[in-house]
Amino acid sequence: MKPIKTKEGYFKLVASYKKESGGWAWIIHRISGIALTAYLYLHIYTLSTLTKGKEAFDAEMALFQKPLFKFLEWILFAFVLAHTLNGIRIVLVDFGKGAFYHKKAFAYLMVIGIIAFLVMGYFIFSHEIHQAFASKIIPLG
Amino acid sequence: MSFKYYGSRKSGSIGWLLQRITGIFLIFAMVGHYILMHYSPETGHSYDQSVMRFSNAYWKMFYLTFITLGLWHGLNGIWSILRDYKMKPWVAITLYGIIVVSGIAFWVLGVSTALSF
Repeated sequence: MKPIKTKEGYFKLVASYKKESGGWAWIIHRISGIALTAYLYLHIYTLSTLTKGKEAFDAEMALFQKPLFKFLEWILFAFVLAHTLNGIRIVLVDFGKGAFYHKKAFAYLMVIGIIAFLVMGYFIFSHEIHQAFASKIIPLG
Repeated sequence: MSFKYYGSRKSGSIGWLLQRITGIFLIFAMVGHYILMHYSPETGHSYDQSVMRFSNAYWKMFYLTFITLGLWHGLNGIWSILRDYKMKPWVAITLYGIIVVSGIAFWVLGVSTALSF
């Protein structure tokens, strides 16, 4: 049997569905999951320089300490948080009684995620933040 | 595995269960991984500290589990996304092959890195 071709494209069709929190969670979970798997491949590949000795590894780490990579690392953490927290919701729905409170759980978990994202921003950029405040004080003295 | 009826011949229930079990493991592993890597940059990003961890048998065991379950969780997730679409058998075989071959290749790369210390 041949599949029936619709006039609307796939993305238009998905966009036309009425989405509540569960639908958005489904989309976020897929996108972040694909991104994290791609990152995992990259992560295994970049860390394999560990076998090439200290110089090669330190040179690579120096590159990853640059602000652009730190920013990308921060964005990566947003994907990790979205996938992890929504994963907790999925486990609660599938193994527990999450079906009764999954909308509330999604809202609370995403608030936790946003707070954790901002806290991690401080940890990742703590050096830059301290420097920004220090450079304002030094010209005065 | 039959690819003509890849959507219906296998229910995928074992994959579904393992996806959740590995996911629960990865939640705890990821919290530890992030604390280790970002609480202070030295613990996570220096050569000596990394080699020291990979030389320890328990850390080695942890990382082998982490790599294996992480890769399996990610690739099984991608395959279950692909299963949602109506693919022609040759497309399904090709994509499944890419997932399996690249997964094994990167698993070998990761494991050989962890075992070389």
